[in-house]
Amino acid sequence: MSILLGEDQVAFGAAAGRLVAARCDTAGLLGLLEPAGRDDRAFWAAAVADGWSAIVVPPAYGGLGLGLVELGQVAQAAGAAPVGMPWLAPGAIVARALLRGDDRAAAQAWLPRLAAGERAALAFAEGCEALPGTPEVRWRQGALRGDKHGVVGGLAAAVALVWAGDGTGPVLALAELDGSVARRGIDSFDNSRLPADLAFGGTAAQVLASGEAAHDLARELMAAWAVVLAFEQLGGAEALLWRARDYAVTRRAFGQPIGAFQSVKHRIAELYGLVEIARANCLHAAACDGTAEFARAAAAARLSATEAYDTAARDCVQVHGGLGTTWEGGLHLHMRRARSLAAECGNTLRWEDWLVDAIAGIAL
Amino acid sequence: MIALDAWRAQARAWLASVAPRFGKEAARGLAPEAHLALGRAYQRAKFEAGFAGINWAPEWHGQGLTPLHKVVFEEEEMPFGMPMGYFGVSLGISVPVVMQMAQDRDWARERVLAALRGDEIWCQLFSEPSGGSDLAGLRTRAEPDGNQWRLNGQKLWTTWAQHSDYGVIVARHDPALPKHKGLTYFWLDMHAPGVTVRPFRLATGDAHVNEVFLDEVRIDDTQRLSPVGGGFAAAMATLMIERYSAADPAGFGPPLEAFVALARVRTIGGRPALDDGRIRSVIARTYAMRSGLDAIRTRAMRMMEAGMEPGPEGALSKLVSVRSRQRLSELAIDLSGALGLAWDQGAWVKDDWVQSWLSAPTMRIAGGADEMLLNTIAERILGLPQDHRPDKGIAFRDVPV
Ligand SMILES: Cc1cc2nc3c(=O)[nH]c(=O)nc-3n(C[C@H](O)[C@H](O)[C@H](O)COP(=O)(O)OP(=O)(O)OC[C@H]3O[C@@H](n4cnc5c(N)ncnc54)[C@H](O)[C@@H]3O)c2cc1C
Repeated sequence: MSILLGEDQVAFGAAAGRLVAARCDTAGLLGLLEPAGRDDRAFWAAAVADGWSAIVVPPAYGGLGLGLVELGQVAQAAGAAPVGMPWLAPGAIVARALLRGDDRAAAQAWLPRLAAGERAALAFAEGCEALPGTPEVRWRQGALRGDKHGVVGGLAAAVALVWAGDGTGPVLALAELDGSVARRGIDSFDNSRLPADLAFGGTAAQVLASGEAAHDLARELMAAWAVVLAFEQLGGAEALLWRARDYAVTRRAFGQPIGAFQSVKHRIAELYGLVEIARANCLHAAACDGTAEFARAAAAARLSATEAYDTAARDCVQVHGGLGTTWEGGLHLHMRRARSLAAECGNTLRWEDWLVDAIAGIAL
Repeated sequence: MIALDAWRAQARAWLASVAPRFGKEAARGLAPEAHLALGRAYQRAKFEAGFAGINWAPEWHGQGLTPLHKVVFEEEEMPFGMPMGYFGVSLGISVPVVMQMAQDRDWARERVLAALRGDEIWCQLFSEPSGGSDLAGLRTRAEPDGNQWRLNGQKLWTTWAQHSDYGVIVARHDPALPKHKGLTYFWLDMHAPGVTVRPFRLATGDAHVNEVFLDEVRIDDTQRLSPVGGGFAAAMATLMIERYSAADPAGFGPPLEAFVALARVRTIGGRPALDDGRIRSVIARTYAMRSGLDAIRTRAMRMMEAGMEPGPEGALSKLVSVRSRQRLSELAIDLSGALGLAWDQGAWVKDDWVQSWLSAPTMRIAGGADEMLLNTIAERILGLPQDHRPDKGIAFRDVPV
């Protein structure tokens, strides 16, 4: 499956782009890099007012009832800045979990709050494993105990979806992050993502899925999460492509624009290729949400968007010469974000393996 | 007009029905003349079944359908390995130009019919020993002589010239003009006196390309296809005709499934290759890239269906897919260790890694070398500046050689 964006979808993305352009500037974003624990709360409030947090929540729960395509358009706009807050993807994925899980009461309680911009986090990873086979965090008699690592938004989220074990198998449990949770902030290279280790000390949590169903749901959520992040990565990569291009036509050396030197010119043309392949994969994945192909399409989007953004970050800085390396120029905002997005939601190596499992399972 | 789905089903059914006669197994091991005869018979069968000239107007013996119908047919045709190579340049490039630009319309209509039936083949004489990428730098002369022209020079790389009845040719009518301005476009009878065709072999061993020598070849001014001096623009237009043709994310080599199948049966140090991280990484990344190209292709089809012009990103397909095919083919051979040394010269390129690997370099050159494609993307799509060109704006004869 593949799609042409409809007018409404394009308009949705354009509106998000205008919000980002109006509210995010380099100086502001630079200000969020060094102090650990600060994000752009005002931007998130404005984004919520524009409906960002309501996109995938059904109208019955106060949402817009749209899908991954629209969410992707917004994520792409956010990635272009790149915005100084981590709330878009986790909120949408927790909402997705609630819609797919067994617990109607939890859905009724949380979906309206998520639609209204409640800050959410996905606490799946332990150590370097994005989705550990047997999680150390335990769910027993309604409460969670144990440590989760590198939770994006962990410092300030109000609610988290947690990948845990109940002694017989995995569970996905939803926990309000109250005083029973110790949050240890991680001093990171991209601090506005608010990464933290979370130590659960008997935190009350509702199980949304358990056993095989929890495993399948977690993988499905990882795939959807990957697609949203891939759109963010795409937005960042595309922004860098055009910055590199704009600089290459204006900056001169040896009597000509540097864009007339083929090593510069071809580097930018190659980047265009990576960006377009990532875009095609992102749109394709969003369009085939709910089909049997989704897992493969999401992995392909994730891998190609990571490659596009990482490459764009390297090459755009290189094309800018010394200017690419300054604090004030701000290209490092993207360099940092390219790496933080690549680490959130499972690294490239994990996604390669997941993709091959999916292909080899069906290829022959 | 027939709906695309119905058309696809019709095409598939017909192709399957003639595959035993014309498919890759039927073509296997045939001597060159027999293979050519099979190719002509296939083209004739296509014409009779209504699958030739798919998007050409009925008055030009075409089917009057859309470019999309043509692409759909090509997509369906690709997996069969039909002997259609002889007609790629002929029907894909040369004949459409004649159709658009020939002065004598009745004569052109006869040629189109003969070409569609596979009776006549056309070649394209652009590239020369002095250069292919730099098309406007060509040296073959066309000197006016009354209401005739005299052609002298040499062309190189002319695909299927040895079987061609006619060709389209660009030549220099005035070396005193800057290089792009001094070119004119003609058609040529390949059997005319003074035309000598010499096939030569490529690295794979096959000989479908030729040197063509032109020695005092006389052609009539009615054979001119462009205004005098309009040859470069016409040549560029020729290359645009190919825009609507089937892309293949596998780079016209074996599909990724074939690589996965190979990795299943190969071992590395006694361990299954399919469990090896390096192999898995290549599979995953190749899949991601190809699925992206596939989505670009599908999107372009949807746009055409909706009556829109597809985006420029379609230009990436050959560049990206053929490079990937070359590397994947290398790795497939490597994966087989000593078993990889064998080469079945008659195998079809989409079935055989060695065949795919050996012929990949020509694909990275023919129809625009990788570097030229990058230039095109950079200049046309991204608006980056042209390279420094010392031959710009001066008379061609003053360009330093
Ligand atoms: C199998 C095959 C079939 C062909 N069939 C036909 C045919 O039917 N008719 C026809 O007219 N031609 C045909 N060609 C010729 C083909 O179009 C040329 O080979 C091609 O355009 C490259 O030209 P060249 O070989 O002279 O290489 P060159 O142009 O000399 O290029 C050599 C190298 O220099 C690079 N280069 C050149 N210019 C630049 C630049 N500005 N910037 C960066 N790098 C540059 C190229 O990319 C290449 O890597 C065929 C070629 C092949 C291999």
